[in-house]
Amino acid sequence: MSFFGFDSTLPRDRGHNTRAPGFSQAADPFAGPRPEDDDDALDFEDTYDGLGDQLDETDDVFNDDTFGDDAGPVTKKPVGKDFDFFGQTAKVSDAINEEQLRFSRQAPSSRGPPTTSTFPQPLPKPARTGYERYKEPDYVPDMQVDANLWGVAPKQPAQAPAFGSPMNPGIPSGGRKMMSLEEVEASMRAQAKKPAQPQHPVQQQQSAPQQYSQTPQQQYQDYPPQQQQQQFSQPQQLPFQSSGPPREEARPAHVGHPHQPVQIMQRSQPTPNQPIAPTAPSQPTQILQNPNRYSAEQHRSAPAVQHPVQHPGHQSRPSGSRHIITHPQQLANLSDEERAAFLMEDAKRAKRNHKIFLLSKDNGLMTPQDKNFITRIQLQQLVTATGNPNEHGSDPSLSEDFYYQVHNQIRGGPRQHPGQPLSNFAQTYLFQTGGRHGGLRRQARGGDNHMQRMEQQVQRAVEAAKNKPKNKQLVIEGSLGKISFSNAKTPKPLLNIKRADSAADTHRPSKAHQVGVSGSDRKTVLTDIENVYSTLMQLEDHERLMPPPLENDDINPELAGFHIDWREKEEKLNRKLWRDLKVHEPIGATTTHPFIAFLSFSKGKKCIPRVFRHITQEQRTTILTMIVIHLDQLDVVRQGLLQPGEVQLNSATRENIELFSLAVMHTLFGYLNEAGLDIVTGLLGLILNINIDVIARTRIGVSMLTMLLSRAELIKQAGSNEREWDQWVGIYNAFFDALEPTLPNIFPGTVNTGEDVYVWQFLAAIGIGASPEQQQRLVMAVKDRVMETVAHAKTLPTAMSSQRLANVNLFMRSIGLDVELLA
Amino acid sequence: MLFFSFFKTLVDHEVTVELKNDIQIKGTLKSVDQYLNIKLDDIQVVEELKYPHLSSVKNVFIRGSVVRYVHLPGGAVDTALLEDATRREAAQQAQKTK
Amino acid sequence: MADVDDGAAAPVSEPLDLVRLCLDEVVFVKLRGDRELKGRLHAYDSHCNLVLGDVEETVYVVEEDEDEDGDETVKTIHKKSEMLFVRGDSVVLISPQGQS
Repeated sequence: MSFFGFDSTLPRDRGHNTRAPGFSQAADPFAGPRPEDDDDALDFEDTYDGLGDQLDETDDVFNDDTFGDDAGPVTKKPVGKDFDFFGQTAKVSDAINEEQLRFSRQAPSSRGPPTTSTFPQPLPKPARTGYERYKEPDYVPDMQVDANLWGVAPKQPAQAPAFGSPMNPGIPSGGRKMMSLEEVEASMRAQAKKPAQPQHPVQQQQSAPQQYSQTPQQQYQDYPPQQQQQQFSQPQQLPFQSSGPPREEARPAHVGHPHQPVQIMQRSQPTPNQPIAPTAPSQPTQILQNPNRYSAEQHRSAPAVQHPVQHPGHQSRPSGSRHIITHPQQLANLSDEERAAFLMEDAKRAKRNHKIFLLSKDNGLMTPQDKNFITRIQLQQLVTATGNPNEHGSDPSLSEDFYYQVHNQIRGGPRQHPGQPLSNFAQTYLFQTGGRHGGLRRQARGGDNHMQRMEQQVQRAVEAAKNKPKNKQLVIEGSLGKISFSNAKTPKPLLNIKRADSAADTHRPSKAHQVGVSGSDRKTVLTDIENVYSTLMQLEDHERLMPPPLENDDINPELAGFHIDWREKEEKLNRKLWRDLKVHEPIGATTTHPFIAFLSFSKGKKCIPRVFRHITQEQRTTILTMIVIHLDQLDVVRQGLLQPGEVQLNSATRENIELFSLAVMHTLFGYLNEAGLDIVTGLLGLILNINIDVIARTRIGVSMLTMLLSRAELIKQAGSNEREWDQWVGIYNAFFDALEPTLPNIFPGTVNTGEDVYVWQFLAAIGIGASPEQQQRLVMAVKDRVMETVAHAKTLPTAMSSQRLANVNLFMRSIGLDVELLA
Repeated sequence: MLFFSFFKTLVDHEVTVELKNDIQIKGTLKSVDQYLNIKLDDIQVVEELKYPHLSSVKNVFIRGSVVRYVHLPGGAVDTALLEDATRREAAQQAQKTK
Repeated sequence: MADVDDGAAAPVSEPLDLVRLCLDEVVFVKLRGDRELKGRLHAYDSHCNLVLGDVEETVYVVEEDEDEDGDETVKTIHKKSEMLFVRGDSVVLISPQGQS
């Protein structure tokens, strides 16, 4: 059925109009149509003037192009429902049909009186009945279509013959909500015209052409057909525009549903007679609503009549699409199709919710505590599987993966339990000197660190000494004036027979000497060392097993028992370690003392820092004493002597010295910094008994001496016991006398090698403690080297030059001089 | 397990595996197992001209038994720790056999 | 690998204990395939898997001289490695103190 098919009902509408003129009546739920009456009164053939045939339908096929290319009520999703004007209109038409049906049901009972009343006064009626109704607050709810009604909808086609008269009143009711201002105006105009038009069939027939055009507007005000208006009604309608006072009243209704007419018109063209029941007849309007136009057009007057027609077709597609989504009311006013879509979504949502429900129905079955508990069980299982190094008593699992676990801790790998006791392993190896990163890096790091600390100590001593300068002038005088004196002194070492033979003893260390022990001894010493390591590791393990500290007031007998046991075991291990170290072996029983032999192996050197962590202060003193006593027997001292003509030691020895400096000296240095002056004095006294000449010409020996001298100076500056100090001075004087002949030879290599920093430190350490007379002797002994170095420094690049001069100056300042004075 | 433990710390380091048939494969150690089977990524055969048949292979799984050497980056090995780990392993082994 | 002298609490109770003494010492290792290694021993296990540091490898290669028929000359190839893992099944012997 085309748009005009719809029109075919018009004659009957007219009949209906006579009883229910104006849409107001139609809206009345009780004003049902009276089909019989209408049918009786009108016959289609009687009233139809055939104008519909004249309508140009040739281009109807293009309607789809204009209004949306989907002809069916089921629109293509991609395009969007909002575009599908036709689809919407089809529903509207359905809605209209339904409304008609509904109306037809209600009409018989309620329709009667109004119709009669309308007859006498057709003109005022439309305004009064229609618009007044709109003002009533509960009017709109009335307009809501009873959903039950739509169930009957399919029957409508059968009622098609009765189409016109009964449903016409209903249509306005459905459409009323959706009327735009223009439409309301148009309908008002139509109403206004009505009086002029015959209410009776007879009259209608007379004015068929006009009626034809007007009735749609009046009753289907919402969908004034474009062509119809253009062809027939426009001229007539226009005059009435001004006569529409109720326009204002109608507005409230507009707000919600302004554009329905457009849709209906569209619908009527392609598929006019869609019987499918729309659930929400008012909705299509909203879909078409153009928000931009909304407020503006509300107030537009007559000329706008045409707008609705054009709008949907041309403009409102995009706007409409926007609108359907944004307008809140749309939810409430879903079209059939949309509702279907909505219901589908709703079903999906429900399905999902159901799934969620199914999934979550056991939610809360476990409390967070329960979950925590499970997690802990799982972690525990993991830990037992992988071996938790922190677990007490799980040493087997730890040793299975010891390297990985500790390595990861040291190198910042992922820790299973940060801050757990394993860290003492990490500490052991992290601070262990010399063993890490292989030989190459050992050298790089090695002695520098130790030397720096030594230098710092000496510098501190020098700085402190400078603050209380002793007869500076005298020193200068001596240093510059008595050169011959120092020359006279130098032959002295050559005359020292005792020194000579001890030097001969150690001067040419053979390969066998390097090892220091015979083949069988070697195995013994290695076994000793391995035993020390075993015991060390036991001690380190034991340390991890230390029970929690006892609290003073909380005396837990069990815990206290643990502590006692733990200490017992520790002492036992300590004794074992001490035995393994062989420190207390009688001196002189073997060619080389076991402990000194122990230190001749690199792993023997390396274990000293670890040993020191587990031994008592007295044991440390004993070890230091042992080392000092055997200083000239240490491999690093014996091999550390430069042979005449040698400029540098071989790399293996150098590495050995670095290692000793880093591992042993560093540790001893740390200990000595806490030692008292009595110990320092005693140690220096011990050195007096051994070959100072050898010691003073080796790096380790010099370092040891520097360490002792600078420490003594620092103790003195910190304020010390007078008697102890006197003792020290006595020993120092003896030491100085013994050392003096060696002084000119203590520098390694030539000036060019530049590896003499430690010697300058040593000289500075001597200089601080020296008396003015001793200082003079000191200066004279090393004057040549000072001059050489200063001269050599001038040939060097600035950075190196200043470094060299700074080294020299360390010494010069210690005796109150400066290299500047020599320049 | 000492060497398994040891190799685990070398994961993601570049190593060169020398096989018993003299082929040397350089690559990133990706994983290792208790048999010291080795997985290497981004491999490169050291003497590619001599052993061209692996030139298009990007990663390999090497059965532990065919390995002769694994050349390791020295800086990635903590020798002191490794020696102690070896001592522990030895002690443990001695305890097991007792 | 080594069988145990049961009950012996002595530090050296089995062959591998001798190897243990060589930890952090330079060792000489003979391998299958005419190879020798000298390096500092950092790790070993019961399979004689080893880790050696600062290793020098010597490979003896027998080459037949083409000009003089039948004559063979032994060529030695020296290689160095910073850190080397040696799989135990190649190891023939481990000796302390590399002979230089």
